Amino acid sequence: MTTKDEVIDQERRCFLRRATATVGGVGIAAAAVPFVSYWMPSTDTEAAAAPIKVDISAIQPGQQLTIPWRGQPMWFIHRTAEMLDTLPQLSSTLRDPDSQEPQQPEYAKNIHRSIKPEIFVATGICTHLGCVPTYRPDKGSIAPDWLGGFYCPCHGSMYDLAGRVYKGVPAPLNLKIPRHMYLSETEIMLGQDSEGEGE
Amino acid sequence: MKRYLLILLAFLVFPCLAIAEEEVKIALSDVTVNTDDLESIKRGAKFFATTCMSCHTMVYLRYDKLAQEAGVSYDRMPVNVKNWPNGITPPDLSLEVDVRGADWIYTYLHSFYQDTKRPMGVNNLLVPNTAMPGIITAFQGTQVKIEGQPPTALFHSLHWYDLLVLQKQGSLTPDQFDATITDLINFLSYAAHPYQAEQHALGWWVLSFLLVLVVLSYFLKKEYWKDVKRK
Amino acid sequence: MIPQKKASGLLGWFYARYPWQEFMQNHLSGYFAPRNFNFWYYFGSFSLLVLVSQIISGIWLTMEYIPVSEGAFASVQHIMREVRFGWLIRFMHTTGASAFFVVVYLHMYRGLIYGSYQKPRELLWLVGMFIYLCLLLEAFTGYVLPWGQMSFWAAEVITSFASAIPYVGKLIMVWLRGDYNVSGVTLHRFFALHVIFFPLLIVGIVFVHLVALHKVGSNNPDGVEIKEHKKEGMPVDGIPFHPYYTVKDIFGIMVFLLVFCTVMFFAPKFGGLFLEQENYLLANPLQTPEHITPAWYMTPFYAILRAVPNKLLGVIAMAAAIAFMFVLPWLDRSKVRSIRYKGLWSKIAIAGFTICFIGLGYLGHEPVSPLYTFLARFFSVGYFAFFVLMPFYTAKEKTYPVPERLT
Repeated sequence: MTTKDEVIDQERRCFLRRATATVGGVGIAAAAVPFVSYWMPSTDTEAAAAPIKVDISAIQPGQQLTIPWRGQPMWFIHRTAEMLDTLPQLSSTLRDPDSQEPQQPEYAKNIHRSIKPEIFVATGICTHLGCVPTYRPDKGSIAPDWLGGFYCPCHGSMYDLAGRVYKGVPAPLNLKIPRHMYLSETEIMLGQDSEGEGE
Repeated sequence: MKRYLLILLAFLVFPCLAIAEEEVKIALSDVTVNTDDLESIKRGAKFFATTCMSCHTMVYLRYDKLAQEAGVSYDRMPVNVKNWPNGITPPDLSLEVDVRGADWIYTYLHSFYQDTKRPMGVNNLLVPNTAMPGIITAFQGTQVKIEGQPPTALFHSLHWYDLLVLQKQGSLTPDQFDATITDLINFLSYAAHPYQAEQHALGWWVLSFLLVLVVLSYFLKKEYWKDVKRK
Repeated sequence: MIPQKKASGLLGWFYARYPWQEFMQNHLSGYFAPRNFNFWYYFGSFSLLVLVSQIISGIWLTMEYIPVSEGAFASVQHIMREVRFGWLIRFMHTTGASAFFVVVYLHMYRGLIYGSYQKPRELLWLVGMFIYLCLLLEAFTGYVLPWGQMSFWAAEVITSFASAIPYVGKLIMVWLRGDYNVSGVTLHRFFALHVIFFPLLIVGIVFVHLVALHKVGSNNPDGVEIKEHKKEGMPVDGIPFHPYYTVKDIFGIMVFLLVFCTVMFFAPKFGGLFLEQENYLLANPLQTPEHITPAWYMTPFYAILRAVPNKLLGVIAMAAAIAFMFVLPWLDRSKVRSIRYKGLWSKIAIAGFTICFIGLGYLGHEPVSPLYTFLARFFSVGYFAFFVLMPFYTAKEKTYPVPERLT
């Protein structure tokens, strides 16, 4: 096609092609940012997911309070001394008796997996496939040697009264303990502690 | 343009038309909205929270940080109130600047005057027989219509200050009142479009970037089209 | 045909199973377009760009929009204020809606002035007109979705056109609305039409439009067929679409985006033309706004409707205004395609038509007055005269000699 004496400057073309493509590529990446950010929780969703105050004064000994938060059941259980006594007896039957796996904040990395032994705060979601386990505190209710705990009806996973998972059940981990802190003797701030906010 | 010339013609041919009616149409006074002035917006927000929010809601500002910090919070707005006087609910003001315009609101808030014939005791030049009570009066003071015939408006339009006179000053001097209302309108503008600062800032970046691409793609096109020009 | 390099590996595996290379050859690097495309030839590719932009921004909006009357308006505010970059996606969509009509009108105008509707491109023109019709309906249904005052009352007015039809009009109107007056039922079904029905239809017809184009090839500003002069099987006045027009369109698109983004970031309301003041108020079935107008891209037809003092005839006139555009290929009896070589009568006619269309557009947005009604009637007569008289002035006028080759 070049009948005249000029030759196609391929180098210039290549350079211009590459330059335009690179800058254009950056442009497309930048243009994608709003579309990706759009999917992040909106400010009203963030507000609904904010930490909440929970009044624990009315929970009777042995009773369970369930509060929905971030679409999940959050459990507040007033454990009796008798219930707490069952915990050291079970170590050999549990997968993770000393809470080595990162399922709880530092202040819940103890045998009762809570800040105060009598008040148990946990996320009521089975660590197997996400069902909500039932609260079975009565001795002998699940099996003859049952000392009390949680039983998941979906696939039979079992946890003790500190949410520690038994061996030989499908669930791999202890129940998750959320961030929380005591605002007073009767009020817990769920979803927030000295480190920050979140689950 | 055609319309204004026609109106002018009408006024020239029928001069009495301009003065005969009771209510004279006033022109809007200009207000300079500055949505970059955060302090002004915050002052306006506080004024809104303390003065306007007993009747007016701003439901779309529910999750707005600036508004909440200034006291404009959803739980203190009269959101589900039912029994308003005359059955007229005070409008939600979240988008009022977009509905009416900043100049309109500015003029409206300056145009209240004493009128014994009205149940609330006040009337407004921009909205004759307005249902809004004289909340503004405490700040601006009491205004009355001027004596006698309003001035003729042949080559300039009448503004609110041509038709009203301040009888007794309120808690603010005219300049302070003006500044307060300007702050309020800055807040109302912010309320109607809180994203505007981000929108403009991002806009400059995008336009600069596109300018670079325009230049690059121009040279790319020119280079390839040398082939076509050669043929 | 320009011989292809035989690709190996994964690409070779793909090429052996999908006609990718053939497609590239037939429709891009081996597809010839006239070498003299000017400014008017950008708007087709701009239309495609805006279509894609509207689909993407539209899908994103659908993720947060609530399509029922009890939440629609609030959900738009939610998108603007609470969703991250929601304001940007929404403005992209509203600016895109108006931009779509700007580019489509200019695209159609190009067809008008260069006679691109003439043989053998009549079908191409018809398909394009069908796209235009779908676009009007897509825009109409979309405008209702924010459920502001203008949304509601535009829906009331436009659906009430159906009631002008004798005998079955009222029934059709209720059938369209799904209710006796426009309500949440209407809103929800318009949502389905706007998000799924019309977009699918438009994408399909745009595909047909491009296929029809590639069969006959593009026209050009001189109106001379490049296929008539070939050397070695390729038109001498043609250039491969790729890379020449791909690279030119990229440049054009950058300039277009510059203008588009200026509006989107700094003047999305465009003085109340793109986002009307009245629509910032929630729909109120009990109170009509003082001043109902359709969006700016429909105002010429609205002006024609209002100019006729009879309900049924007004609706017919409005429909005829669009219908005449469809039959343009058969009204134009000129042997010459492009305005460059047509006679004085055609030049006056197109100039007059342009003035009438713009004049009607302005009037359609203004409130009714005796002067404006007179002008609307005057411009309507001018508008229809362009079409009605065309068979005569195009056949009779003295045209200029058309060149053999492109200039």
